[in-house]
Formats: sequence, structure tokens, C-alpha cells
Amino acid sequence: MSADQDIILEVKNLKKYFPISRGLFRRTAGHVKAVDGVNFFIREGEVLGLVGESGCGKTTVGRTILRLYDPTAGEIWYRKKDGELIEISRISQKEMKPLRREMRMIFQDPYSSLNPRLTVKDIIGEPLIIHGIARGKEVEERVEELMRAVGLDPAYMRRYPHEFSGGQRQRIGLARTLSLSPRLIVADEPVSALDVSIQAQVLNLLQELQERLGLTLLFIAHDLSVVEHVSDRIAVMYVGKLVEMAETGVLLRHPLHPYTEALISAVPPADPDVRLERIVLEGDVPSPANPPAGCVFHPRCRYAQDLCGREEPQLVEVETEHYASCHFAAELRLRGIGGVSE
Amino acid sequence: MKSDVSSQTNLTKTLEPLVEGREGYFNLVWRKFRKSRIAILGGIIVLILSIMAIFSDFFSPYDPVKLNMQYGYTPPHRIHFIDAGGKFHFRPFVYKWTRVLDENMFPHWVEDTSQRYEIRLFVRGWEYRFLGLFPATLHLYGVEEGGSIYLLGTDKFGRDIFGRCALAGRISLSMSFFGTIISVAVGSVLGVISGYYGGRFDELMQRFVEFVQSFPQLPLWMALAAVIPPTWDQMTVFVTMSVIFALLSWTLLAREVRGKVLALRETDFILAAREMGASDARIIFYHLYPNTLSHTIVVLTLTIPSIILAESFLSFLGIGIQEPLVSWGVMMREAQTIQTLGFNLWIISPVFFIFLAVLGFNFLGDGLRDAADPYTIV
Repeated sequence: MSADQDIILEVKNLKKYFPISRGLFRRTAGHVKAVDGVNFFIREGEVLGLVGESGCGKTTVGRTILRLYDPTAGEIWYRKKDGELIEISRISQKEMKPLRREMRMIFQDPYSSLNPRLTVKDIIGEPLIIHGIARGKEVEERVEELMRAVGLDPAYMRRYPHEFSGGQRQRIGLARTLSLSPRLIVADEPVSALDVSIQAQVLNLLQELQERLGLTLLFIAHDLSVVEHVSDRIAVMYVGKLVEMAETGVLLRHPLHPYTEALISAVPPADPDVRLERIVLEGDVPSPANPPAGCVFHPRCRYAQDLCGREEPQLVEVETEHYASCHFAAELRLRGIGGVSE
Repeated sequence: MKSDVSSQTNLTKTLEPLVEGREGYFNLVWRKFRKSRIAILGGIIVLILSIMAIFSDFFSPYDPVKLNMQYGYTPPHRIHFIDAGGKFHFRPFVYKWTRVLDENMFPHWVEDTSQRYEIRLFVRGWEYRFLGLFPATLHLYGVEEGGSIYLLGTDKFGRDIFGRCALAGRISLSMSFFGTIISVAVGSVLGVISGYYGGRFDELMQRFVEFVQSFPQLPLWMALAAVIPPTWDQMTVFVTMSVIFALLSWTLLAREVRGKVLALRETDFILAAREMGASDARIIFYHLYPNTLSHTIVVLTLTIPSIILAESFLSFLGIGIQEPLVSWGVMMREAQTIQTLGFNLWIISPVFFIFLAVLGFNFLGDGLRDAADPYTIV
């Protein structure tokens, strides 16, 4: 997989554990296994959607890839602009800095991701100043370009974030992310905090920019319908593990993992006359500090067998370019968007 | 296939931003501050006292350091509009005080109503250097030759108390201001660094702060001030006293700022700064520090009155500031015996100035506390 020249990012067995401190002397009582052995890759120019419910570790994956957290274990391979493939999981922050021009992040909350004391110009222009790309008047010109690209009037560059609406603030954040002409963008739930009508606007903007600039996008979200709209491929996470990964259409029509099936059934179909039986999962999401033995989903899975509680399934390529981590992925006939698949 | 960002998208239709007018942090704070009447009042009081202190020579009809023994312990002149004969005069005037001995050879002060001395504004009087630059003789008010006007009476040496109170404001206000600046500078920087780095450094800092806070303030100030050699020049004494006051008051701000930074550290915009590759120094001084300004401003305006009070107390006891330097506390030294106070109650006037200064800064601080965080709606 790593030899494939198209692949811009590959993550191998990535783990991120957070220690839990207890007691007077802060002994480490256990770990929150936020990310517990995740494998995936993204090709240049494609959009990989990373879905899962709150707490499944998808945000942690995004932040760890950009080295905002240091991984506990695993490898992160990145192919630089000049073609060189490097492993970035253990490099120093100093070595990481030049790479940050190529790999950027979009943040979820438009209300807290912009420094309220800075003008829009300062916010968008800061990466340029930090990396010594531009100074003074040049910064202003570049900020003007970027604001136009995200659909904001450059006349407003001397305003402050609190003068803008949520959707506009998210565009400011987007302009900031694009300021260094990155190749890979980790979009951490970029529309989750916006009203639905604004979500559509910003999503369309994101898509258009991605196509026009040839960006590679890791699109993290909890809403399957949002992810489906934007992604070429989708990866599904559950309690720190990647349970399924496939091309969007294939995943939705023909899911191989029971959790994916449940997620899909929760998406209301566009036709109000169609009444589909919703698969309601029993029980609660397990705590990542204390995941179940064997398959992490087995306590809530309606197809679970004894094997599922004993042995942890691996993420395997069940069909071409379709990965799933379930012992019975090949046998189960699960229901996708169009009904039960063959 | 890859085109540059400069070409426009077809989504250039934008919504209007919400408010017109300048919206920077200080503009927002000022707008909110303006709404509080108490705060404005506090601000005016502080402003008046400061102007009186800076231009004290202008406000003082008599040279505040010149000895005038024959007029020692003169009571405050009463301002009249109606004279002894019942006639109303437009211009306010004063009578001369004469000392009269009664049958027991006890001195009384009696107004000599034979001669009226009208109060004039903008009169020529004793010469001073305006802001230390050029000589001037203009004073705010005064009376004609032969009369005198002591609005708050005189002290033992015949020096006009009103004029001295204005002059004393210079030391009292500037020392507290200077001490506060040091205190705030040290406290805020240490607080931000401690909060940002956390870990061992933060632990050590917190223990040190607790250690410093455990000291009883006043006795320590007294001890330190008493050690100052009397041979030192005025400037050195001033600076040393300011530093001594700052020494024990910086911890309050350090704690507050650290708390704010601990909260700020986890916000997305700080994470964004790290994500784009900002250095620690940049994050601390460009992002975190300005966002702790609200706490700093409030603590600043509340530290000033506490140092004014402390300085007054120490000077009252004769520690620290000495004659010929004059502060409100130094002036209070004359009011220490019951007899002196009993006969010459006006000696205690500097208390009124201290009271006004402390009240003014407290009102100011309250108003600023409400205004200093203008983003709470968002």
C-alpha cells in the first residue's frame, strides 16, 4: 500500500492513549484508549470521510495526524510535495514546522477557533507571518485573495470575529487554513456547529475549493448524510477502532459491518412515505477507558456469536477496496440504503 | 488542473456584518464602561485628584514648603457672601483671623470683620516652575495683598494645608501607581508562563505564591521600610518603597492570570495557533497575554488604593517617606496627639483626600470589572 505513488497519507496501527491520573500522587490508574490501532490511507486529491459518534476517537485521529498530540504507538506516513515519503509520528516539533505548511486543519467551533482580540486580517494572515511568507502590504494582498476565495468581502478585513455570523466565521477559519496553499486538510467537523441551511453553503464551498485546488481532505464528522455528500470514500470508527472502510456508494448500499448498518438505518430517507425499520442499538457506547474484550462492538451487535466476545477481529479487505473488521463480514447480509444487498 | 486561490468562487454574496463602528477590544470596553454611572464618577474623582496633584502649584495659593511660623495653626477661612452688616456681595470673600486671648489667657480665633478680602480667580502669586519647565506665577485663586485664604487651614509651620494636600497627591498617587505597575508586570507575566507550561514549573510557582501570601503584609512592609537608611536620596527611597509595596501584591494577579490561562489553553484558537506552527513565545505573548487583559486591568485599579492606604499607614508611623517629601500619610503625622487634634481639627484633612482617592479607584475598578470582558454575550 505504501508503495502506491498516489497515496499522500498513510496511518499504520495508530494508537493514542491518554493516562488517567488518580490519587494523591497522581498515579496512572489506567488509560483512555481514544485511538486503538487505526489503519487507513488517503490518496492525493480524494476526500476520505471519517465517521463515528461522539467519543469514538475521530477527532483524536485528526489531531494526532497533525502532531497536535504525540502518538502512543504506530506510524504516520506522509508524502511531501517533492515526492519524498517521511514518517512523522516521532519527529520533533521543530522538524514538523515546515510540514505544517502542507498539512492544515479546519476547526469545528467557529466561536472559539478565532482569537477574539485579533482582526480578520491578523487571523488569516498569521500563518503567512509565522512561516515568513509575506510581510506588511503583501500580507494584506494575500488576505484579500483568500477572503474572496471563501466568499467574504475583503473590505471587512479590519473587523473583529464577533461582528460575524457563525457561517462567516467558519469561512474566516477556512481562509486561514488555505493561506499557505496546503495539500492535505484535516477538516474536524467543520459544519457541525452551523445551522442546517448554512451547513449546505459551507459544504458546497468546501467541495468547490477541494475540486479546484486539488486538495486532499480528511473529513471528520458524526453525521453520515453530511459525510456522504462530500466524500469519495468513508471510514467508520467505533470506540477507538476502525470498523469499516470503503468507497462511499459501496459502503452505503452494501455495508459489511453491523455498526455501519445501524448508522445507515438511522439516516432518515428523503421519501417520507417510505417507512423503514430502524435498527436501534441496545445498551450504551462503552467507555474507551474500559473497552469490551474481543470485538469492541459485540455487546450491542444483533449478530454477535461467542467468537465475537473472545477474539478481536482485524480490519481485512473483505472485497476489493472494501475493508471491514468483523468475523462474519463475508456471510452477513446487511441492509444498506437501498434495502438488503445481495 | 490546480488553479490558484485567487480566482473567485461564485459564492461572493455575503451577509452584512452585524454592527457598524470600531469594534476593537478597548472600544467595546469603553462603551460598556460608559453605561455605569458609578464608574464614571470614580473616573472623574481620580481624574480631578490627578490633575490637582500634577498641577498642584497652580492650585495652591501659597508655597507649600515655605515656613510661615506666624500663621501656624490658623483655622480654615470661612467663605462669606453676606457681610457683617447683612449686605449681599456677588463675589465671595473672607475675613482675617485674629487671635484673641480671653480672660483665662486662652487663645481664640475671631474673624476681623473690618476688612473684606475678596476671592479672585487666576491671580498672580508666588513663583513656581510649571511642570518643572518654565517659571510661572499664575494660581487658580487667591485674595488681595494683606489678606490670606487657607481653605483647609494651616499646619504647625503655617503652611497652607489645601496646597500641601494637592502636592502630597503627587507622591501618594505616583508611588501607588508605580508600585502597581511593577506588581502587575511581574504578576501577569509569571501567571501566564506558569499557566501555559504547567508541570513542575507551575507547581513550584504555586508553592512560592502561597509562601509569599502567607506573610503578614503590614508588618513585613514596616520591617522592610524601617531598614531603609536615612542617608539615601529621595528618588531612591521612592523607588525602593514602590518595590517593597509591589513585592507582596503581585501574587493576586499571578493567580488570577494563571487561572484564566489554564482555561484559555484548551480553547480552539490556541490549538489553531499551535496547528499553524506558532512558537511558544508567540502563543504566550501574542495570543494568551492580551486575552488576560481583563483581569489585569481590574486588579490594577484595585491594587492602587491598597497601596495608597499602605503608604499612608507607614508614613503615618514615620517609616518610609520622610520630610521634606510630602504625602498624605506624612501630613497625618502631625495629627497624632489628642491635644493638637482637639484644638486644630483641620489637621486631619488629608484623610479626606485619601478617602476620595480610595473610593474613586474602587468605583473605577468595579465599573471596569463589569466592562472588561465585553465578549460574554457571544
